[in-house]
Amino acid sequence: MNTEAGRQAKFNQLAQTYGTDLYRYAMWICGNDALAKDLVQETFLRAWKALDNLKDSKAVKSWLITILRREYARTFERKVPKFTDVDSVVVADERELEPEERTEIRLLRQGIMELAPKYREPLLMQVVLGYSCKEISETLGISKSAVMTQLFRAREQLKSQLRKDGVTGNVHELF
Amino acid sequence: MSMNFSEFKRLLGAEPRSGDPEFLRACQSSPEFEREAAKAQQFEDKLDRAMDIPEPASLIEDLMTISQQPPAMTGNRRWLKFALAASLFVAVGAAGLVWKMNRGWDSVEEYLVDHYRHDGVSLLVRADGDTAKDVQEILSELNIHASPALAEIVGVIKYCPTPDGKGVHMILNTETGPVTVIYMPDTAVNDREMLAFDDVEAVLITLQSGSAAIIGPAAEQMSSLYALIYDSLLPLPGNS
Repeated sequence: MNTEAGRQAKFNQLAQTYGTDLYRYAMWICGNDALAKDLVQETFLRAWKALDNLKDSKAVKSWLITILRREYARTFERKVPKFTDVDSVVVADERELEPEERTEIRLLRQGIMELAPKYREPLLMQVVLGYSCKEISETLGISKSAVMTQLFRAREQLKSQLRKDGVTGNVHELF
Repeated sequence: MSMNFSEFKRLLGAEPRSGDPEFLRACQSSPEFEREAAKAQQFEDKLDRAMDIPEPASLIEDLMTISQQPPAMTGNRRWLKFALAASLFVAVGAAGLVWKMNRGWDSVEEYLVDHYRHDGVSLLVRADGDTAKDVQEILSELNIHASPALAEIVGVIKYCPTPDGKGVHMILNTETGPVTVIYMPDTAVNDREMLAFDDVEAVLITLQSGSAAIIGPAAEQMSSLYALIYDSLLPLPGNS
């Protein structure tokens, strides 16, 4: 395999392994399908340009997330109005759910979008990306203890939201 | 020393899937702890489901086109260098910017450069001569349609962000090569304004409904495509 082909193969592997997770993460932080796709596209474009600088394969995921967060901060967070079309993206897979489950899921999605960024982002990193508290702490540059507090509060707010909206049945049993 | 219930609940709320041995032992240390762990697990399952957004159909395929780009086309970001075609340029100083500040990018020109650099080149690579099948379907969502003359040369079409919401990014397979068209349903532009950046030029068009930018390699071609786009991207009946 020549160098260029090897480089392409390495990049394509990254796209296949991390593309979906990055899209989900981007979708949840910006709330808009088209913007999320653009963020992911830009992240991988930058990754392609800097691929030769990547020496530690274990650090790939956090490297990509760092690029994506920087892109989001640079391009979108400051300028673009918030959109919330998460529901339009996920409508298709909801048809399999029971009505009660569908209500719970929608309330949770709404609650996630309404979380303050300082609560939402660690939660996304943990649930969508599978990060540990330590990894979140390193990525966000805050203490592990602060991360744990934010995660705890994020979940409490979501649970509180469900209670407030009066979801009945098994959701009540959760609390 | 064993974990107390309050501390256990805090850990459950912060890292419910922790692999920490002490935490795992605590999960099974008493019926009260077990019940709490089970409730937390139920909530996590719902959270997983709520956050599980399906990936777009062509996401990975689109990403992998990036590695097919020639190195020159992925060069470092260079800022906008307006090479304005004098005959077409509408004096910004006199007219003022149509752009509304603080809605997104600072100008429509900045948006076009930024967006084109995001995925303009990678989409060009995908335009292989096949006509896209879902042209009218995608355009109709924005209340416009394409004339047959335009629809038959669309090689790639996808939604894209614009300064004022969702738009459409198309690649046309013209006789002289692929050309990009970005349709912006709610963005006002200076009609016929031209700009140049990187290795391409662009012309802006005010359409009957919304606006568009044509981006390609030569000014002459841009001008000739102006008429085609103006005549071919039309509001759906009842939406003019």
